[in-house]
Amino acid sequence: MKSRALMLVLSLLVLLQGASVAQLLDPHKLLEAEPTDTWPTYNGDYSGRRFSPLTQIHSSNVSALALAWMYRVKVSGPMRGVSAPVIKSTPLMVKGILYFTVPDRVFAVDARTGRELWHYEWADKGGHLVGNRGVGMYGDWLYFLAPDGWFISLEARSGKERWRKKVADEKMQYFTTMAPMVVGHHIMVGVGGDAIDVPGYLEARDPETGELQWRWNTEPREGEPGSETWPNQAAMEHGGGMTWLPGTYDKDLNLLYWGTGNPNSVMAGQGRKGANLWTCAIVALNPDTGKLVWYFQGSPHDTHDWDNVETPVLFDATLDGKPRKLLAQAARNGYFFVLDRTDGKNILSQPFVPLNWSKGVDAKGQPIPDESKEPTVDGSFLTENWGGGTNWMPPSFSPRTGLFYVNATLGYSLVYLTDTKERPEGYGGFGRPLWSQHVLEAIDYRTGNVKWSHAYTTADGMPEGLGGPGVLTTAGNLLFTGDYNGNLIAFNAIDGDILWHFPALHSLSNGPETYMLDGQQYLVAGAGDTLYVFRLAPRRP
Amino acid sequence: MNSAQCGLLAVMLLTIVGAPGQAQAPGSKGNSSPPAQTQESQRALRTREFLGLGRQPDPELASDGQKIFGPTCGFCHGADGRGGQGPDLLRSSVVLDDDKGELIGPVIQNGRPNKGMPAFSSLTEEKVRAIAEFLHMQVELAANRGTYQVQNIVTGNAQAGEAYFKGEGKCTTCHSVSGDLAHIGSKLTPADLQAAELYPDTRGNEFGGTQRPRQVSVTLADGKKFTGSLKHLDDFYVSLEDAQGEYHSIAIAKGVKVVVEDKLVFHRQMLDKYSDKQIHDLTAYLVTLK
Repeated sequence: MKSRALMLVLSLLVLLQGASVAQLLDPHKLLEAEPTDTWPTYNGDYSGRRFSPLTQIHSSNVSALALAWMYRVKVSGPMRGVSAPVIKSTPLMVKGILYFTVPDRVFAVDARTGRELWHYEWADKGGHLVGNRGVGMYGDWLYFLAPDGWFISLEARSGKERWRKKVADEKMQYFTTMAPMVVGHHIMVGVGGDAIDVPGYLEARDPETGELQWRWNTEPREGEPGSETWPNQAAMEHGGGMTWLPGTYDKDLNLLYWGTGNPNSVMAGQGRKGANLWTCAIVALNPDTGKLVWYFQGSPHDTHDWDNVETPVLFDATLDGKPRKLLAQAARNGYFFVLDRTDGKNILSQPFVPLNWSKGVDAKGQPIPDESKEPTVDGSFLTENWGGGTNWMPPSFSPRTGLFYVNATLGYSLVYLTDTKERPEGYGGFGRPLWSQHVLEAIDYRTGNVKWSHAYTTADGMPEGLGGPGVLTTAGNLLFTGDYNGNLIAFNAIDGDILWHFPALHSLSNGPETYMLDGQQYLVAGAGDTLYVFRLAPRRP
Repeated sequence: MNSAQCGLLAVMLLTIVGAPGQAQAPGSKGNSSPPAQTQESQRALRTREFLGLGRQPDPELASDGQKIFGPTCGFCHGADGRGGQGPDLLRSSVVLDDDKGELIGPVIQNGRPNKGMPAFSSLTEEKVRAIAEFLHMQVELAANRGTYQVQNIVTGNAQAGEAYFKGEGKCTTCHSVSGDLAHIGSKLTPADLQAAELYPDTRGNEFGGTQRPRQVSVTLADGKKFTGSLKHLDDFYVSLEDAQGEYHSIAIAKGVKVVVEDKLVFHRQMLDKYSDKQIHDLTAYLVTLK
């Protein structure tokens, strides 16, 4: 009892001390919808909408948008396995400082001038340098995932490392790229990896110590509910269902929404007959316990490497005269889903790109895969882009227009099986892209119909690396995104007219963001190794 | 499609034939061109580096190891180490953390009595090292997708393919097996042929698309016209080189009309019509054009 009392006094002292200097980011800020003076988390707020109520920049003056500054990431030495650093992170903007990442690096940059304040460098011992989505922030602390499974906390003021915890084994081919997500007193940490067949999981860790609070496994263990969707324990242990993109959160329902990746072996499904829960699903978890509340499986028994991790976007609307709490996702498999986020019940499932891998949907609204469109030794022909209808790049939902915006890809591909064994391991196959076309789509969530779309004009659209342009919408009737030719573009969110563009050195590779600073609205976009920051050109007398 | 377009299409196909390496599928075996072998091993190396896998296993030593592993360990772990009565060794941290037998060796020599694995203390150090290498090779072949080999894709019916070529597929509208497609079966690998029959320009292929000059004509609002080979095109600018070698960069303002020659429009229209059987039959036919 004595020691407990002492602990209480100590914690009070710590609290008081903490109070003497204002925290950089009050954790309550994270609960605010659509904050405008801060960009405190990967998606800007917990809804995943990437919609800003700011109107200083609007459809009538956006043509006066001008570059304020640029910051180019410099890294010493080559980045293993990738040609150059690409900014896929969405910077956090807190008290005039931007915090963002590339694999193995964290940067703090003055949001007014672009001057670097500090950077943190990590020497990895493995893992994929495919991307890094950014940092999470709690009070004065930042959280970063190094590619080789290290969960690292930094002091935001100095970039000094506080501690590091191992959360995944890179030798087992796990890799870690997501922006840690702060929910209450939990830091959510997800993992990637599918070169060797390993099971996925999502962890909650303590913001002070980094210690594990809970771990939710994306596959059941033997005898648990869900195990009936796997043929045997060995198949279940091959797992998959990686958790490599940040989720979203509803504070009123206290539910955390997360997308899970494809099952393993990736393309050789013969060793895992069944739906393979909870891979390729949207799950609702209790953030305090990690307990599964409901699930909706977007791709039962996926065999096309189409992770279902795309952002589950939350918004409220009136459907058939009733107010509803909704969740919408444009999934990599090409389906647009709308669910009731209180219980996961399906409201709408409709393809947003042409596809032939599915025979329609079942009673629960889940797509029914066509077995004949699984990869085959001699090639199976898909009327869908090999990389999927979209990928990780953030979509946006505007409550002003009621439209869900996503950068989609139309295409055709051949998928081959290379591992025909009863117990396949690894990818077990490959896909070969044929023709493809990038298209920005504005989807009406009530019908699933595309209200307007813009097919990006191109001569030979070779997508740059694995980057992809995200989307931001604002109350100024604007939609910011980019094409695959290096142009940052502002569209009219209502009708898709192009209002402004800026030729950058590389194509947009992150989700753009906006905020107010010193009374001016800023737009921030990461393209390749460079961060571009815009505001309206100052008026000259 | 007019005959001029067909002629261009034939030129297009020949361009691809001239550079088989560019249309190489991941893992496809370059049976006609030795450089493809090098490209293949480069892909394996690049993928290994990207994945952060360990060193490249020694194939000879691994093959020695296979001969010992099969009869000694295969009964429990499966002939390929993927598990059976005993655990899957490809996902074992002992194997994945091991480099040259330093972790695997003690397990083989001492066994794991509590888990029912006997000790194999009579195996020499060389043999243990070879077994370890065999397991590293198994991991390599599964995890490093840069090593994947496409298997036999020629499963279709060549006669049915020929009928499709001349009939429903309407391929003879533009192509001729004695003209542009002569000897195509010895110029392209079956996998490349299969992709090319569907869409000759594998744009977006992460292993390299085909570059080709495309003709473009740009008409300004005042009627002034530029034609030449296309250099760049996006929503805002088009640039071209005209017949005199002059470079023009033109903003796509209101009233500016850009027409890019589209040699593959028929291929694209056909993409919505193929069945897997037709594709396989067509491939089976085209590979006979030696």
